[in-house]
Amino acid sequence: MSKPDDPRASNPQDPEKLRFHFTPSADSDSRRDDRATDNPHAKDTTRVPEVIEALQDEFGAAVLELERYANEDTVYVEKRRIREICRFLRAEEDFDYFADLGGIDRFTEEDRYEVFYNLVSTERQKRIRLKVRVDETDMTVPSVTDVYRAANWNEREAYDMFGFEFVDHPDPRRMYMPEDFEYHPLRKEFPQLGVPGSLPLPPQTPDGELTMDPFAAAHGSKPVKSYDEPSTDPDSE
Amino acid sequence: MAGPSGGNGQGFFTTRVDALLNWARSNSLMPMPMGLACCAIEMMGFAGPKYDSARFGSEAMRFSPRQADLMIVAGWCSYKMSHAIRRVWDQMGDPKWCVAMGACASTGGMHRCYGVVQGVDNFLPVDVYISGCPPRPESVLHALMDIQEKIRNEYSVVQDYEFGKVRERAPIQPENTNKFPGQLEKPKTQDYTLEASDPTAADTEEESSPEPIAA
Repeated sequence: MSKPDDPRASNPQDPEKLRFHFTPSADSDSRRDDRATDNPHAKDTTRVPEVIEALQDEFGAAVLELERYANEDTVYVEKRRIREICRFLRAEEDFDYFADLGGIDRFTEEDRYEVFYNLVSTERQKRIRLKVRVDETDMTVPSVTDVYRAANWNEREAYDMFGFEFVDHPDPRRMYMPEDFEYHPLRKEFPQLGVPGSLPLPPQTPDGELTMDPFAAAHGSKPVKSYDEPSTDPDSE
Repeated sequence: MAGPSGGNGQGFFTTRVDALLNWARSNSLMPMPMGLACCAIEMMGFAGPKYDSARFGSEAMRFSPRQADLMIVAGWCSYKMSHAIRRVWDQMGDPKWCVAMGACASTGGMHRCYGVVQGVDNFLPVDVYISGCPPRPESVLHALMDIQEKIRNEYSVVQDYEFGKVRERAPIQPENTNKFPGQLEKPKTQDYTLEASDPTAADTEEESSPEPIAA
């Protein structure tokens, strides 16, 4: 039971009020005001023009490009200033929640990769997406783990899947694949069925050699790796 | 061990000891739940009160490989995880059995991609495969009954000590590896006894002794 003044309440007998609610687009407010007010879900959380203005005032040319798609604001910023920008957003604009980070392989000639940062302000109930472009020749991206500690594992995953080198990351290991895996599986050129022979199977006996699955064995691959535990003795190497 | 009574060296004494050992082993299986994905939920139902694997004497899930003799690999297995599973399997004491539960553990299932092992029989000697995605707990019970039947037909005494061909004692290599001779390297040590003497022999069944128990 909803309260009488609940905007979500509608009379099912009145077909006029049985309306499909959809997210208002940028220009729909002028044409049909009712959509903006009627939709209980349209909190308009993804449009942050005032934050973008503040970013442009603070960083000027480091804000490269603005994009609004599906009513969501995306800000392309300069790669080497992403850490300051995140720090500014966290300190000045209350973007206190780091929701997501990941990589995108656009498979273009230049600025092939992108790293996106989804930030949320729980105080203001706003979201913003930052993106940096990364060229194939320079895969370094400043790590934002100083600002958001939650970025730690996300950056490890992005390193694992795309091969970004996150500078000043506290623990730059792979997330999913074995540490000596030579490839980055989410790159476009990586074959979906894997590279035969790149991932050995365990030995068939406790002291035996590493083996290969029949798929790799049929391709003539031999295990070349050792999955022995790393020695804890520093003098042995 | 047995007298000259023929029948693979099986005499009255060994068959009786076999019957006793197999009865005890088959009704006290302690599963090692290697739950990797959603199949593990059904495996919990298998152990729970409704399906009640205690009826078959295997209600005691042992999370230590030293105490378990049946490994249920439930769920898809990545190449990185396969080394851990193999290590757990090697730590389990003989005799031990293995169940590949579900499509993913049996064949890789829908995960035909770079990181998932296409069936745990690539690195484990699987005794029973269960189809389904995920299988219902009844299927797991059925697999358990199959394992019990397999145990009851084993020649435990002669297998453990003297008789039987080497390759019939313990299925170490999965069947499909024999199709690629030379690709899989043999163990280097000479005194290794569990290795198949004849690499072309594809039969690695544990219970492949030609004659049944005369009991």
